[in-house]
Amino acid sequence: MRTYIRLIFTTLTLWLAASSSLSAAEPRATLVEAMLADNDARKIELITSLAGEVDESIKPLLIAWREDGLYLYEPSGATPVPVQLTGEKDADDARAAVRVDTGAPLVDAEGKPVHLVAGDLNAVEHTSMLRRAMKGVLDLIDIGSPDAKKRLQAIQTIGFAQETDKIPAFQKRLAIEENSKVRRALREAIAVTQLKDPSDAVKLAAVKELKELHSLSSYDLIRTAMREADAAKSTELATEAKAALVAIDNHKSNINFFGTLFRGLSLGSILLIVAIGLAITFGLMGVINMAHGEMIAIGAYTTYLVENIFGAGITIPFFGFSLAIPGMNTTGAFYQTYFLFALPLSFLTAAVVGIGLERSIIRFLYRRPLESLLATWGVSLLLQQGLKLMFGSNNVQVSSPSYLSGNWTVNDIIFGWNRVFVIGFAGLIVFGVWLILTKTPLGLLIRSVMQNRGMASCMGVRTERVNMLTFGLGSGLAGLAGAFISQIGNVGPSLGQNYIVDCFMTVVVGGVGNLAGTIYSALGIGLVDQSLQQILLNPVLGKILVLVAIILFLQWRPSGLFVTRSRNLDD
Amino acid sequence: MPSLSTRHKIELIAVGVIALFFIVIFPLLNAHGMVSNFTINLWGKYLCYALLAISVDLLWGYTGLLSLGQALFFSLGGYMMGMYLMRMIGELGQYKKPIPDFLVFLGWTDLPKFWVPFSSFPFAAAMILLLPGLLALVFGFLAFRSRVKGVYFSILTQALTYGASLMFFRNDMLMGGNNGFTDFKFILGYDLRDAVTQRGLFIATAVVLLIVYVGLRVLSYTKFGLVQKAIRDGENRVLFSGYATAHFKLFIFLIAALIASIGGALYVPQVGIINPSEMTPDKSLEAVVWCAVGGRATLIGPIIGAIGVNSLKSWASRAAPDYWLVILGGMFVIVVLLLPGGIVSIPARLKALWQRFNKKPAEPEPPKPAAPPQEPNVTPASTPSL
Repeated sequence: MRTYIRLIFTTLTLWLAASSSLSAAEPRATLVEAMLADNDARKIELITSLAGEVDESIKPLLIAWREDGLYLYEPSGATPVPVQLTGEKDADDARAAVRVDTGAPLVDAEGKPVHLVAGDLNAVEHTSMLRRAMKGVLDLIDIGSPDAKKRLQAIQTIGFAQETDKIPAFQKRLAIEENSKVRRALREAIAVTQLKDPSDAVKLAAVKELKELHSLSSYDLIRTAMREADAAKSTELATEAKAALVAIDNHKSNINFFGTLFRGLSLGSILLIVAIGLAITFGLMGVINMAHGEMIAIGAYTTYLVENIFGAGITIPFFGFSLAIPGMNTTGAFYQTYFLFALPLSFLTAAVVGIGLERSIIRFLYRRPLESLLATWGVSLLLQQGLKLMFGSNNVQVSSPSYLSGNWTVNDIIFGWNRVFVIGFAGLIVFGVWLILTKTPLGLLIRSVMQNRGMASCMGVRTERVNMLTFGLGSGLAGLAGAFISQIGNVGPSLGQNYIVDCFMTVVVGGVGNLAGTIYSALGIGLVDQSLQQILLNPVLGKILVLVAIILFLQWRPSGLFVTRSRNLDD
Repeated sequence: MPSLSTRHKIELIAVGVIALFFIVIFPLLNAHGMVSNFTINLWGKYLCYALLAISVDLLWGYTGLLSLGQALFFSLGGYMMGMYLMRMIGELGQYKKPIPDFLVFLGWTDLPKFWVPFSSFPFAAAMILLLPGLLALVFGFLAFRSRVKGVYFSILTQALTYGASLMFFRNDMLMGGNNGFTDFKFILGYDLRDAVTQRGLFIATAVVLLIVYVGLRVLSYTKFGLVQKAIRDGENRVLFSGYATAHFKLFIFLIAALIASIGGALYVPQVGIINPSEMTPDKSLEAVVWCAVGGRATLIGPIIGAIGVNSLKSWASRAAPDYWLVILGGMFVIVVLLLPGGIVSIPARLKALWQRFNKKPAEPEPPKPAAPPQEPNVTPASTPSL
């Protein structure tokens, strides 16, 4: 093994020195030369020189060689030609032959393709040493892949195998690599591999490098190195390794901190999006709408429908009938714009259902909040069952458009696009609601009716209509929330039930009748929930503790964070 | 106690007759094979639900506190009884081990400490009262001290139930997790699958219901009962008259929790299963439906509601399983909008209609369905029909 490594090492060094001349040669020609070379050392040298080659065809050829898939075609007298047999066997068991050196079909003197029988030919030979060299090259071939993701993966896999002989290949790649992520991975891979180096000085440098890189994945390897150094009494190295571990730990807790912050913020944004509609219907109007959750579900199902209409269409078993909606069969980028159409449609659908609900039931219950709670709970059951009958009781899948999937990694902190989007969208919704309430005539009417219904009515405001529109706005916002939730979770008939308790909690904690309070409480609850989960490592317990915390919080501020001051005892 | 009016005498006689029927005649008919075991078991379940509905009514109808957490107390009582019943299975479980099956499944070899005393029925019976009582005291104290009321009280109790159900769904609660407790064999040495035992449980439930009914009826005549109704109709005025309303409410909340808990404890051996889905907010809301449908602020209303709605449910879940929720939801909307007094108020409405019809035969105007406008601080809409 040692000799072999040394051999590879020297050949690699040689090859590095001669790389300019060698790499100029055609990789296929190099391969053929290796096959025909008369001694193993030369063969290994030639094979190794292929490492990091960009040519994609080398990989299958090398694999074929290793597996006895390459043959020597030896027409009498002429130099043998390595060939690969491809295609289907014909009647004589013969297959079409392809020249290894050019990749073109093998032709005879008259230019006709030659068909050969595998049994008549000699396979290209390979010894165990050659196979090892080939494996080394095969391992390294992806490092030169034009696809950065593939490169990154190959570098990480090879780096953490800690094979010292791979270092020169890494270094060569590092010299020409331009992608910053891959550069970082290369440095990490080199340093990790150097941890196996016999010399303490090299190890020390490697540890320092890893410390600088805050390499999370090398944590265990550094710890192993530290133990070894402790055992070998090399104090300096052990201290440095310990320092590196501390640095990585710090980095880790930083990542956790910012990760938690980010997740808390995005959870808070989800809460905000689902609760802001409720903040309007409950907070401003004083109507306890237990069917708010179903408005969210309606929004989510609207998104599902729009997605299907953009796709292949959908058949809905509509209370015994079957309603076939044809699809537009769009694909690609246009298909993915479905979400942009789904957003306003979810808003409209939920708003229309909300207005219907307001006209038929809620308007009779404005002065009886507890009864509005009960009646709307009945409505929520009706809507749930309706959705079940229309879409089935199983969850349906809504595929996220490509611009919402994927993520963005900064300093090892992963920012999922959909979460970033949720945060941004929550901001937009809040801004939109603020605009509507403060800058439009409708907002003025809403505020006046909510503050003093009788007075507004006397001034000629049509309070009935304002109620209807306000309720429609609140429901529509729930529909928007549903469109969003369809992107991050399951869509099912009981979707709303999962959010309704959270929604009410958010609004109550924020202080009823106060939109700003809802924003603060949503973000606060989101952050507390995620922090508790981080500490307890248990999502359910975290949720329960949040509920307990909310109950205790209401001891301190019975009317929530922000109270609308009033002299009325019953407020 | 003031002298009874004719109406109350009629009610008293009616209740006596019904109680006699349930406690004596119904079980006798069962013993002679004229009523099936299935029926008596089913009615036992209804009566347990009636206890739950009465506890909701005591809070909502009489005190104006809509608690959406009564199912929590109901299932806590059930769980306490369930723990005793689990211990009584002994080594007859699937795994033939001295500890309950789900613990074997979770990899336990010994009984967790808090399970040990539940082998004793008196301890379990004490816990049926103590645990829900303690929870009601703590939660009630926190809620009433900070003057949480109206809708906020409902939302908080809903959150409490929600949190508890999340907790009980977890396996490491060591309370059976998702599946809860089932496969009971014996209670107090009697075989639970035996018709005689089931009959005994039915009689016990009917007796408890009668006691609760009479007790609450007496309570409603006392000064305490008057203060209770005064709190419902105008809490601030009661407060300013010098009554510590928080204490009253706390005491009522406690009694309601105990009634619900006893109902749950009687429910579990008759139904044979208890799991966390019994304590979700939905179940509490269902109990509110029974109460509303039957007629709130009456004592007989919740009982009628619980039995009526659950009979309907038994029928509908066989005849039209897909539409049960539609029926329940629709019923609720209709009751709230058109019949705020519930079934119990129908005779009075018919009477009023008849009188109006006789007075003005020229224009027989149908009764206005929506409730009349109320003063905003009066929480329950319907005036109690007592």
